[in-house]
Amino acid sequence: MRAKAKLYPKEAARLLREKPGVREAVTGATLHFERNRLRAYGEVSIGAWRERAKAVKDHVLSHLDHYLELAERRLRENGVQVHWAETLEDAHRVLREVVQRHGVRRAVKAKSMLTEELGVNPLLESLGVEVYETDLGEYLIQLLGEPPSHIVGPAIHLSLEEIQRLFHERFGTPLDAPPEALAQVARKVLREAFLTAELGISGANFLVAETGTLALMENEGNIRLSTSLPKVHVAFVGIEKLLPRFQDLALFLPLTARAATGQRLATFVSLIQGPAREGEEGPEEVHVVLVDNGRTALLADPEAWETLRCLRCGACLNACPVYRQTGGHPYGYVYSGPIGAVLDPGLLSLEEAYPLPYASSLCGACLEACPVLIPIPKLLLTWRHRAVAEGLTPSWEKAAMKAFRKVMESPALYRLFSKALRGLPLPQDLLPLLRAWTEGRGPLKPSPKPFHELWKEVERGG
Amino acid sequence: MEARTRILARVRRALKERPKALLPEHPHTPLAEDPVDLLLRRLEENGAEAMKLPREEAKAFAQRLAEGLPGATFGKTLPQDLRPPLPELPPEEAPLGVSWALFAVAETGSVALSSEEGRRVHLLPPTHLVFVEAGRVYGSLLEALQDLQSLPSALGLHSGPSKSADIGQVMVKGVHGPGRLIVAVLL
Repeated sequence: MRAKAKLYPKEAARLLREKPGVREAVTGATLHFERNRLRAYGEVSIGAWRERAKAVKDHVLSHLDHYLELAERRLRENGVQVHWAETLEDAHRVLREVVQRHGVRRAVKAKSMLTEELGVNPLLESLGVEVYETDLGEYLIQLLGEPPSHIVGPAIHLSLEEIQRLFHERFGTPLDAPPEALAQVARKVLREAFLTAELGISGANFLVAETGTLALMENEGNIRLSTSLPKVHVAFVGIEKLLPRFQDLALFLPLTARAATGQRLATFVSLIQGPAREGEEGPEEVHVVLVDNGRTALLADPEAWETLRCLRCGACLNACPVYRQTGGHPYGYVYSGPIGAVLDPGLLSLEEAYPLPYASSLCGACLEACPVLIPIPKLLLTWRHRAVAEGLTPSWEKAAMKAFRKVMESPALYRLFSKALRGLPLPQDLLPLLRAWTEGRGPLKPSPKPFHELWKEVERGG
Repeated sequence: MEARTRILARVRRALKERPKALLPEHPHTPLAEDPVDLLLRRLEENGAEAMKLPREEAKAFAQRLAEGLPGATFGKTLPQDLRPPLPELPPEEAPLGVSWALFAVAETGSVALSSEEGRRVHLLPPTHLVFVEAGRVYGSLLEALQDLQSLPSALGLHSGPSKSADIGQVMVKGVHGPGRLIVAVLL
């Protein structure tokens, strides 16, 4: 996927002006996720769980070469074909080869952020493969030709009415068809795809090094079907997805479920060991593609490497008051919200992801939510410091900050400016800096009295 | 092999100065109640139907469930006596799948289904009846995973009916997998 992160603030403002329904849908859905997460965290010793999960991930990441080699060995012993992809092009080569060797005409896909990152769907389409996203939310946005808006709920920005209209146009269902009826229509289309596809594509939540086990979580059953029915299964796995021991799944599967949706465990967990054995049904071939695509660079970053602990649960998105206003689309890359704001500059480059570290009020809700304690607020500041050091911030901002500092250091100057700003009838819509605010909002109304005068009154009164 | 060499070299370079973090142990937390009772409660909370009953009654239950159905599909390891007397249909046509779980986990409300049983039987029919022996119900997921001696080509943990809230945040059952999961624990 090509990053369009540069347009972030403009796209966010445009979305809020032109599609106010998105804010309502995203806020509703994320608050629902957030309530469930809080309840689920409250049921267990969540502090100890998170510390332990962080420790396991830090262990894996600090021994990553060892665990990658161990995982590769175990996967091969299990009959899995292992590929390494340093770049997007490497990953494409592996997939193209599989498609051509098996004459694949139709593929079913489980929801996976990494395959979004790698642009798997456009590649398959260019090879003449009919590709079906099988997660219901992913299927909806595939029909609309949109990227996912959320890591866990890709279609949370769509209202029921929009989906009813989409299905009416595509499948002729009534405009007021209830969600159950729409789901049945999708089930029918996708069931046919499951039964006829030659290739199943997935990501992985975890790859256990000790046993070579792929672990995948879901609620619909589409991942189980995508990895069971077609004769070939290709799993794309980021190199940071490793866990050392099989027993670590006993922490990470429930922790991820609680963080993501507030469940004790995802409704379906697939623990995949390899291709079907003698006399069994299941895929004849299983391929695992270990993907770097920027991850080793992030690992080498002395400050930002902690981002690689991420489980892709989406909890920080649900907790974020900034993300909630727009959903993921304006961020312009696969990973949005707080984690996107610190992961995207690491995976792409700061220049390409530039304004994203500013898409936060630094309130810290993301850190409160994170199941593996990624210090997102601190990392947002790290990336902002770097943006200033690399000269990415606009020159007016530097001048403004300099002037701001002068004013803030002198009480006399501060009073003068504060008085001037309150007293002058500002032509707000003419000032370029203020126009970004006044577009779509009412004019700024300064308080008649400055804070320090109000405070004096309070002190005198009290 | 080139990508592999380059990735591993970059990982090693990245980790050269990085302190090595220790791997923690996972503590066992003993259950305060009977694992079978907890399993049943959790399954129900997850939207499944769950019961414990003696084997004879379980057979009768399966027969009642099968009444009026044109056929069913069965897991390969399902004991013969638990098969309701129905013609065997291909899984994609069967209204009912009946299978035999490897084990169950009480704390999460899950049954574990092995690929040695088949896979379609667990996924394609709209209703899925699973039998599990009371002696194979673990208290915690940690106990269950540590106790596993060998792994099948695919192990599925099923904790409730297939569901999705992707359409307007309304919970819908039976999206791809079975919309009805019934678990019978054999005493």
